[in-house]
Amino acid sequence: MVDRLRPSDPPTSSNPRVRQVEAILHGTVIDHIPGHMTLKVANLLARENDQVSIGMNLRSARMGRKGVVKISGRELDARTLSRLALIAPSASVSIIRDTQVVQKFTVPMPKLFEDIARCANPNCVTNHERWASRMEVVNTDPLTVCCIYCERTFLATELALL
Amino acid sequence: MSAGAGEHPVAFPPAALPFAPVQFTGRHVVSISDFSRNDLIHVLELAARMESSKSPARLDGKLMATLFFEPSTRTRLSFEAAMHKLGGKVIGFSDAGSTSTKKGESLADTIRMVERYADVIVMRHPRDGAARLASEISTVPVINGGDGGNQHPSQTFLDLYTIAKLFPALLSGERELTIAFAGDLRYGRTVHSLLTALCHFKVRMLLVAPRGLEMPEQYLNAAAKAGLVVQEVPTLQEVVAQADVLYMTRLQEERFPDPLEFDHIKHSYRITAAMLASAPAHLRILHPLPRVNEIAIDVDATPHAHYFAQAGNGIPVRQALLSLVIGTV
Repeated sequence: MVDRLRPSDPPTSSNPRVRQVEAILHGTVIDHIPGHMTLKVANLLARENDQVSIGMNLRSARMGRKGVVKISGRELDARTLSRLALIAPSASVSIIRDTQVVQKFTVPMPKLFEDIARCANPNCVTNHERWASRMEVVNTDPLTVCCIYCERTFLATELALL
Repeated sequence: MSAGAGEHPVAFPPAALPFAPVQFTGRHVVSISDFSRNDLIHVLELAARMESSKSPARLDGKLMATLFFEPSTRTRLSFEAAMHKLGGKVIGFSDAGSTSTKKGESLADTIRMVERYADVIVMRHPRDGAARLASEISTVPVINGGDGGNQHPSQTFLDLYTIAKLFPALLSGERELTIAFAGDLRYGRTVHSLLTALCHFKVRMLLVAPRGLEMPEQYLNAAAKAGLVVQEVPTLQEVVAQADVLYMTRLQEERFPDPLEFDHIKHSYRITAAMLASAPAHLRILHPLPRVNEIAIDVDATPHAHYFAQAGNGIPVRQALLSLVIGTV
């Protein structure tokens, strides 16, 4: 049974029978995305022919406001999860098969982001040579990384994804 | 090599010995952050042996390649002098314009070629992180001679060596040294590296910098984590009365959007012989050089001036680094 959003229902996730974003048959649900990052996450994950549902500024008991992105027919690979970790480290990921959640986890935080984001230091060698960027996680809250080449430290929010 | 006024042979206190085994052969010298306290003391100890020995271990038959993609006076000349004094030979360039870099050759390809020619590579490059990249490719040791505004570890080793010769308390920990940095602390790579290294020792730091050119937070945080007392002070005159070492750096006009502001600031960060009249006799002034206006010429004749002796210490320190990474000691 697939629940449908009914306009008359209160827009809250406290009622488990009410879905704020249409359910999917197979695919991936990324939940608990900080509200302002929702479209960025959708842009990051969606491929040209993907069916994507987006919920923005949804009420959340944990976060106040949150975003949800649902992608039909696709499960995320390790590289995509790394990219997700950089822009929405608090997000949770559910793998859906036949409308059932078969796996649910928070985004795994890698120790090292390799070739995921451009170093924000314009003079870093990785922005001038054909060489993959590598950034070590030095703090998780707020997510802060250190480029192992130029040794500069940046907030994840300062970085542009590759 | 003369020791310079006020310097002593480096004394290695029993507390610092015996060292845990330190493995240097084949090691890259990219960032001072890669070195432990034991590593640092090991290099200083070998530099002291190099300086006092008439016939230090030889590097006959060994070849050093100097890849200077950016201009350098002291670093290149002192590495070359160090290699020659050890009996080794030198190849290289000091102008990237005369190399295939100008034709678009990548740094990675340049390193893949040079590692086949030489036993050690000394490199200066304008990009931050270039030395780390080179070290990931090269099968022979890479010594960073300065990568953009990032690191200049051989300068830090010679700065530490100079301070240890002047003030044996740095290594013995008998008393807390007071070390002041003045000038451009935001962009000056030498002060970043030296502060990182000093985190291994018992020192109190005084910082004097114009607004906007203060020490970056990441270095202050690292110092705080290491237990160093770091104090920002408003004027040079204030540190002159308190410091054992005053480490001056150059203010660069291009860092100031307003030329009038630079003109005003540069006088506030200039040390003169008159300002040193009330300084304690043991105060020593260091500078990575080149100095421009920040140290008046009249300071040279005072007993406080130590920057040329400091530059001279580059030879034994670089002899030590070359011998260690090539593996002859």
